Amino acid sequence: MKKLLRNPLSMAGLIILLVFILVAVFAPWIAPVPDMYANNPNHDPYRVPRYGWGNTPQAPSKEHPMGLTHGKYDIFYGIVWGTRTAFKVGLIVTGVSCLVGIVIGSTSAYIGGKFDEVVMRFVDVFMSFPFLIAAIVITTILGRGLDKVIFALVLFRWTGYARLIRGNVLQVKQEEYVMAAKAGGVSHAKILIRHILPNTIFPVLIQASMNMGSIVVTASTLSFLGLGAPEGYADWGQMISFARNWILGTPDNPLAYWYTVVWPGLAIVLFVLSWNLIGDAFRDIMDPRIQG
Amino acid sequence: MLTFIARRLLFLPVVLIGVTLLIFVAMSLLSPYQLVSTYIKSPEELKNQSLDDLVRKYGLDQPVHVRYINWVKNLLKGDLGYSVSANMHVAEAIAKRFPATLELALFAIIPVVLGGIWLGTISAKHYNKPLDHFSRVFAIVGWSLPDFVFGLIVLMIFYGVFGWFPPGRLSMWADSIVLTGDFVRYTGMNTVDALLNKRLDIFWDAVRHLIAPVITLSYLWWAYLLRITRSSMLEVMNKDYVRTARAKGLTERVVMNRHVRRNALIPVATVSGSMVLGLLGGVVIVETVFDYKGIGLLTATGAQQLDYTLVLGTTLFYGLLLVLVNLVVDVLYAIIDPRVRLE
Repeated sequence: MKKLLRNPLSMAGLIILLVFILVAVFAPWIAPVPDMYANNPNHDPYRVPRYGWGNTPQAPSKEHPMGLTHGKYDIFYGIVWGTRTAFKVGLIVTGVSCLVGIVIGSTSAYIGGKFDEVVMRFVDVFMSFPFLIAAIVITTILGRGLDKVIFALVLFRWTGYARLIRGNVLQVKQEEYVMAAKAGGVSHAKILIRHILPNTIFPVLIQASMNMGSIVVTASTLSFLGLGAPEGYADWGQMISFARNWILGTPDNPLAYWYTVVWPGLAIVLFVLSWNLIGDAFRDIMDPRIQG
Repeated sequence: MLTFIARRLLFLPVVLIGVTLLIFVAMSLLSPYQLVSTYIKSPEELKNQSLDDLVRKYGLDQPVHVRYINWVKNLLKGDLGYSVSANMHVAEAIAKRFPATLELALFAIIPVVLGGIWLGTISAKHYNKPLDHFSRVFAIVGWSLPDFVFGLIVLMIFYGVFGWFPPGRLSMWADSIVLTGDFVRYTGMNTVDALLNKRLDIFWDAVRHLIAPVITLSYLWWAYLLRITRSSMLEVMNKDYVRTARAKGLTERVVMNRHVRRNALIPVATVSGSMVLGLLGGVVIVETVFDYKGIGLLTATGAQQLDYTLVLGTTLFYGLLLVLVNLVVDVLYAIIDPRVRLE
């Protein structure tokens, strides 16, 4: 942990991440729900407010510090509340797929034999599809929506963790203290949970935290393709898909609508960057091969 | 060597059954009425027939195992159903669009591999020096840039501002020539066909349209390859035989190129399989951003219009492609690293 704080790159990552956490927590104060919805108890704060009719974006102004994007959606509001969406998707997908992967991977390795063989071939099949394309198939079949995106991502993400923990458990399984526990008549479930998992789970958790960034990228990619969050939901990927229509600007000013792509793009890049900076430092610390 | 390949080939049907089963399970989430579209052979069939007739005709009311066997039988005949969004048979659409994607992949693979390995070597050579830190930041930023964001920025700058690299596959004038009978389609790849037809102007036009997507794909993959090459080079540099080579008085260049890099490339070869996997996903995005009419854009537009027939068909195609690519990668790997064959 000390090494993490001493490295300027990972330090930068931690600071950026902290800013995002603060933005997510204080979203209702940073970008309050506009007054026009105050009397509507059914109003969902994740719905980005629209100011006016027509589609043409509007340059940043005092009321709308980052401007209005396609469909007059407020960019600043969308980015602030989109931070919450990003954390929500990232944390749920990582958490659930990690849990599923650990349970299936460790039991498979512990039981071993034919069972293990079958489970691993199963994992192989799941892993032989490109992650993004698999997610596209699932969201096409199930329909649009954030919950479906989360489901699709979990469905094709757990396999990586399962494979990782399986390898670790297979190693630890042979250790003498496991043998000792077995000889002492400790139940299988207890051996797995109390003796094996604590010694194998750590690398998986690190791997999982490093994948947060890529999960958020995939989720926003689905939104970019129009398969993710419903229209008008605060989501960075969707804001970029809005920007697509205006990317070429006006004939005399090709950069006329720069703000529609730059702000949401910056939000995604910084978010992912912060996770990757931390993960990269972690990897160097954990990887003893490089420390020659 | 031959036994190694034979063993791999034996494993092939198992993977194929797995891949088809997975897609079939995904399909069975749809109701029989929705599924009819994945079976019919032309829109004509919808005339004079009720949906219930069609469901019965294609056996969609049968038990699961019967349906699976029937479906696989159809697949073996190359029948993937009729796509509403592409307005043609799925197999036909894939055959039509695949050359474009192949062309893009072929143009991208050389700068990706050479550039990535070169950057990784430089980074490892200057380990912990400014150049290394610089390339690391370059890699992390590249790794953090989602392809659709980077692609849009490339489009905005190189097309919007400078007007150099337009989206699409060909300019209007070139497209109209390609569509005439005088221009013979040999491969479906514009650059190759243009050269075979001795039309240099069309060749340049096609290349001009390829540059922006290739830049986008390359930058993102450089980041990945740089990282792997770097850490694998650093590992090898600590090996005894490298010290021996230095002690023999070999020049630094020979040590680096002959002793270090050759061995460091083995892990790089291992990831080439997963690179192809990622490249296929990346192609969907890049083709969407640059309106490049390949198989990725076909899948994306199909998905947007909820054309599951098309999406399932193309996915199956990706799956088969990957199985084959992985087989080739494994064989190449066994050639590079003889230790693998002994396992």
